[in-house]
Amino acid sequence: MLDLLNTKTLQVADGLGLSWEAAIKLAARPLVNSKTIEPAYVESIIDVVKDKGTYMNIGPLIVLAHARPSSAVHGIGLSLLKTNSPVNFVDAEHPVKLWFVLTATDSHSHLGVIQQLMELLTNKEAVKEVLEARTVHQILMILKSIES
Amino acid sequence: MKILAVCQSGLGTSFMVQMNIQAILKAEKVDTSGIELDHSDVGSATADAADYFFVESTLADAVASLPKDRTVLLKSLIDKEETKAHVNDILDKEGIQYTAE
Repeated sequence: MLDLLNTKTLQVADGLGLSWEAAIKLAARPLVNSKTIEPAYVESIIDVVKDKGTYMNIGPLIVLAHARPSSAVHGIGLSLLKTNSPVNFVDAEHPVKLWFVLTATDSHSHLGVIQQLMELLTNKEAVKEVLEARTVHQILMILKSIES
Repeated sequence: MKILAVCQSGLGTSFMVQMNIQAILKAEKVDTSGIELDHSDVGSATADAADYFFVESTLADAVASLPKDRTVLLKSLIDKEETKAHVNDILDKEGIQYTAE
């Protein structure tokens, strides 16, 4: 997972005054910049949330933003934005501080990424540390520590 | 017995839940020879597709056609303890042995 989550794809932002749409766009920006996805993929994620609700809020304070593979996706990608202040994901019942964006070109190739992501997310101690991290460097250190 | 993890797209989160269940069964030393695990999207999850369904709770309306007594609604997909409690309930119901940690 470290090769996907790196200084290019990790971001820490304040989060104050950010809408959930803006948070997802900001979280996805590194993947747009690297041409892993087209902006249309980000729009489709936002449309799915508006249509289907908050199911991407997979655990407390965590969103895994993703949509179906499409022509707007050129590769497997993962990015993470951590907002120091929680941003309401659609409504006040779903405050979020960790915004993951996952991209996949088909329904199988990204399963290894999900597997590694789950190793992080089911590790309560590591998640707590990431939620408290203030810099990209700190997050990288936490990721490194659970990998060894 | 078949357990199906279901999510909106059948792409990511359902696979996460499937992996969690897999890890729990392994940790509890369950004989999985008679247990089948899979994941799918809400659209293709029909009542006869599996014996038990694990679904994220905000998708409850989307899976209203699935039998309630065989459907588990998860509040958090990454909380292993929550998933484990439901898995153990099913193992008890099915009379399948496991080692509680």
